[in-house]
Amino acid sequence: MAENGESNGLPHPSRGPAAAQGSATAAAEPKIIKVTVKTPKEKEEFAVPENSSVQQFKEAISKRFKSQTDQLVLIFAGKILKDQDTLIQHGIHDGLTVHLVIKSQNRPQGQSTQPSNAAGTNTTTASTPRSNSTPISTNSNPFGLGNLGGLASLSSLGLSSTNFSELQSQMQQQLLSSPEMMIQIMENPFVQSMLSNPDLMRQLIMANPQMQQLIQRNPEISHLLNNPDIMRQTLEIARNPAMMQEMMRNQDLALSNLESIPGGYNALRRMYTDIQEPMLNAAQEQFGGNPFASVGSSSSSGEGTQPSRTENRDPLPNPWAPPQATPSSATTNTTTSSGSGSGSSSNPQLIQNMLSAPYMRSMMQSLSQNPDLAAQQMQNPDTLAAMSNPRAMQALMQIQQGLQTLATEAPGRPPGPAGSGGPAGSGGHTGSTVSSSAPSETTSPTSEPGPNQQFIQQMVQALAGANTPQLPNPEVRFQQQLEQLNAMGFLNREANLQALIATGGDINAAIERLLGSQPS
Amino acid sequence: GKQLEGIWHTSIVVHKDEFFFGSGGISSCPPGGTLLGPPDSVVDVGSTEVTEEIFLEYLSSLGESLFRGEAYNLFEHNCNTFSNEVAQFLTGRKIPSYITDLPSEVLSTPFGQALRPLLDSIQIQPPGGNAIGRPNGQS
Repeated sequence: MAENGESNGLPHPSRGPAAAQGSATAAAEPKIIKVTVKTPKEKEEFAVPENSSVQQFKEAISKRFKSQTDQLVLIFAGKILKDQDTLIQHGIHDGLTVHLVIKSQNRPQGQSTQPSNAAGTNTTTASTPRSNSTPISTNSNPFGLGNLGGLASLSSLGLSSTNFSELQSQMQQQLLSSPEMMIQIMENPFVQSMLSNPDLMRQLIMANPQMQQLIQRNPEISHLLNNPDIMRQTLEIARNPAMMQEMMRNQDLALSNLESIPGGYNALRRMYTDIQEPMLNAAQEQFGGNPFASVGSSSSSGEGTQPSRTENRDPLPNPWAPPQATPSSATTNTTTSSGSGSGSSSNPQLIQNMLSAPYMRSMMQSLSQNPDLAAQQMQNPDTLAAMSNPRAMQALMQIQQGLQTLATEAPGRPPGPAGSGGPAGSGGHTGSTVSSSAPSETTSPTSEPGPNQQFIQQMVQALAGANTPQLPNPEVRFQQQLEQLNAMGFLNREANLQALIATGGDINAAIERLLGSQPS
Repeated sequence: GKQLEGIWHTSIVVHKDEFFFGSGGISSCPPGGTLLGPPDSVVDVGSTEVTEEIFLEYLSSLGESLFRGEAYNLFEHNCNTFSNEVAQFLTGRKIPSYITDLPSEVLSTPFGQALRPLLDSIQIQPPGGNAIGRPNGQS
């Protein structure tokens, strides 16, 4: 065997049998062929005898690639090469390329589950859904649903319907029907940051006209909403799904205890009909009404009737059943039928994607910094139309990309709209990308064009400086609060400003901070 | 002037899933599941013995090395490049040449040359897919 002509690839231990083989065919002088082995990451050339087996080939490869032979998978022309085959058998000649996949020993969790699921399903296995997921629909947590209403309107890209409220209801339905998705959305850090801004949430909730009616009827609710401590607590709870489940469980327990106290049932019932039911109705109107409505009304005879002593064995109505027939006339919802259900299988991923798309992120950030404008934006029909137009969103994304490139190329130069021309020019320029159809900036918003433009400017700024979103000057933001603090006698403007920044504009909390820090 | 039939976006369908490369990296979706909808034409590249498991391993190493999202370039290293690579891996055959020749066709015209700086910076990612090869599905 031509030892000197041998390649550097074949290891010595296998020289023995190969040598024996080789000597048998020594007369024929097996050709050495050059085979390229290509992995996703690199490419190496091997010179091996034409008649080697795949096993020998793998041994050579394992040395060069520093893996074990059983980790190697060789593929040629779509076939997996088995150890006992030979290279000739597969038609591997000089100069051809063989593909190699090196199996990693401890595969990350996501990958090992992928073969079992279709690749189309959710790949965020990092946050595996908990087994006891509490759907939020039935229990009267209106804040939860209010939040969802706000969130739903933000991430509506890619759904085929053009009517925005349809989109919203579709989103909400999907969210409610898939508790796992809900959990994942809740865990999305930007959702959490939005939720932690009590001002924003309050405004989002207040913006819902049904809530407004409710508040008029029941002033206690407005007290609830305006009390920042309670809001903060509720938001904390809403943010943390586990805590929420705990709370609800406790609530359920407390309620059931109440029931057994004489006269307690009446109180409960009163509480339910006065507060919970209208809220539940208001929030759930889009889903075909309160499924529990019929249960209560059937025993409408006399308020004082205690529940019958025997257990109620009727099955409770299924709150998650697809909404029956007639949509409520109050909203403009049309068919929320199974059509949306079939499309929804691919939609959760769309929604996931949209939530995580970079421009969404920066938009959310700028939105969370401007709670007033955010609420306004929700209602501005043009923005809504724009957000549901995928082309507009793509255009926005391209702008963001361009701005990012610009930012890296010329970091000193502020991005276009902020630095150049007057607000009218820039407003017109950005306005054309936000509104999906022709209407010009002057005709679009029904409310003041000023804050609208300002918002768009900020949005574009935020898009441009996506890493460090530009906060509008805190002094400007807190102008009103600063004046109030001044009037109250806190004359140290700097300290006021800092306290306001720390509490996010909350005057009461800022005052507490100031009082706590000052020795007087 | 030169008339182009189309600017082709291609993807590979194997094991009942569609895989494609965009500025967001390698993604997958149900066949025809991106925003672009069902395909214009389907070319059968062949059959493969490669199992889904091995294929996904392969894809994820590709996604970390050669086909990361940042590596996307509309002319040199695009979805068709990816489809070509994967097709060769799976079956040993390449994708039809009219697709892979597209960038050079465009660049051979003066107009294409003029537009090149603008087109170079375009990042395309058809919505509707899930990213592969990242520990967390979100980017």
